[in-house]
Amino acid sequence: MDEPALIQSAQRGDLDSFNTIVLHYQDMVFHVALRILGDENLAQDAAQDAFISMFKNISAYRGGSFKAWLMRTVTNACYDELRRQKRRPTTPLEPNTKDDEEMDSPRWLADPNMTPAQQSEANELEHAVQHCLDALPAEFRVVVTLADIQGMDYSDVATATRVPLGTVKSRLARARLRLRDCLRGFEELLPAALRLKGENG
Amino acid sequence: MKNFNDNDLELFSAYVDGRLDSAASTRVESRVSADPDVASVLADLRFARSVLRSLPKRKAPRNFTLTRKMVGMNPPLPRAYSFFQFSSAFATMLLIFTFALNALTSSRVSLDAASAPAAPVSAQATEAPAMQAPAATQASAMEMSVPATASADSAGGGNPTVAAEAPNAKEAPPPSSSPNQPKVKREAAIPVAWQIGLIMIGLLSVFGMFALRQFAKRKWL
Repeated sequence: MDEPALIQSAQRGDLDSFNTIVLHYQDMVFHVALRILGDENLAQDAAQDAFISMFKNISAYRGGSFKAWLMRTVTNACYDELRRQKRRPTTPLEPNTKDDEEMDSPRWLADPNMTPAQQSEANELEHAVQHCLDALPAEFRVVVTLADIQGMDYSDVATATRVPLGTVKSRLARARLRLRDCLRGFEELLPAALRLKGENG
Repeated sequence: MKNFNDNDLELFSAYVDGRLDSAASTRVESRVSADPDVASVLADLRFARSVLRSLPKRKAPRNFTLTRKMVGMNPPLPRAYSFFQFSSAFATMLLIFTFALNALTSSRVSLDAASAPAAPVSAQATEAPAMQAPAATQASAMEMSVPATASADSAGGGNPTVAAEAPNAKEAPPPSSSPNQPKVKREAAIPVAWQIGLIMIGLLSVFGMFALRQFAKRKWL
């Protein structure tokens, strides 16, 4: 994919070029939105809004890290969604069992390449991590999602979140420690390798 | 475990990510060997980072590609659209012009109508007393010099000019009441039929624009 050429075409209003970019980044955008919002439907809405906003404002992109610019739009869309949720809170969208209890392994999490045991383990871990992420303040969650889950470097995270580099470092350190405290409650869910890593440093 | 300040935590976190220069890294490593709490914090930071990185990457459940409708893009319009646009604008301007012209001419006609009868009346009103006075002096002079003829004249109808003009002065109609004044026929400069024609052209052009836009949209989406 010739990204600069596609961006230039999109800046001239070529929607097909922009859609090629969308197809390339949509998994990443959705994944980030999902980790920040903790809900698949909200993440889909935020991702769609983010792409619409990106197309409308792509002329404002003046070079630099496109991924950072993209992530800034996604985090803005997520913040908008969080503000909307605050104004009108809704019930969780996760499917419930017949007894009206939250389903541990909803079908939408299923990965056909895993054995049922692996699937169950992965789902439980994912739920535990998401639970701990949800417990963080939004600005910490955004930083930790971009830096640790997405693997972006500090300067790109600072660009994406529009905060100084020092703030990114501070938020990341504190978010990691809070997550560690929260994940201690789910230690039995963690894979053996991770438990060992945690203990040995 | 002791509490570290924000600067220390940032330093340890950056160390875990390998973002420190060699001097700062060496300082952290020396603190690790000296203080077991530093080692514990580093272990916590590494643990959190590895758990987050171990999360499976979730794929988008659907495509987020955009349609033209989503981004509010308008379809390219055919050339005829600009023709209709021009004709509707031109018809509107002409219509406004005709209305303005008609309004102007009608107000001018009414002004003329108001001032036209007033002039002869005032002329008559000023002429009448002036003519009445010489007539009176002439009559009295004639009476004094020729009394015999004066009686004969008065019996025969007096001075014909006086007899002819005096009634005019008396019968001069007031400017306000003019029952016999001829009515001014108000005729518009631009006939109404033309204005209706312009309205029709404008409406047809607007309809043409609307139809072309709908057609282009349907063809595009």
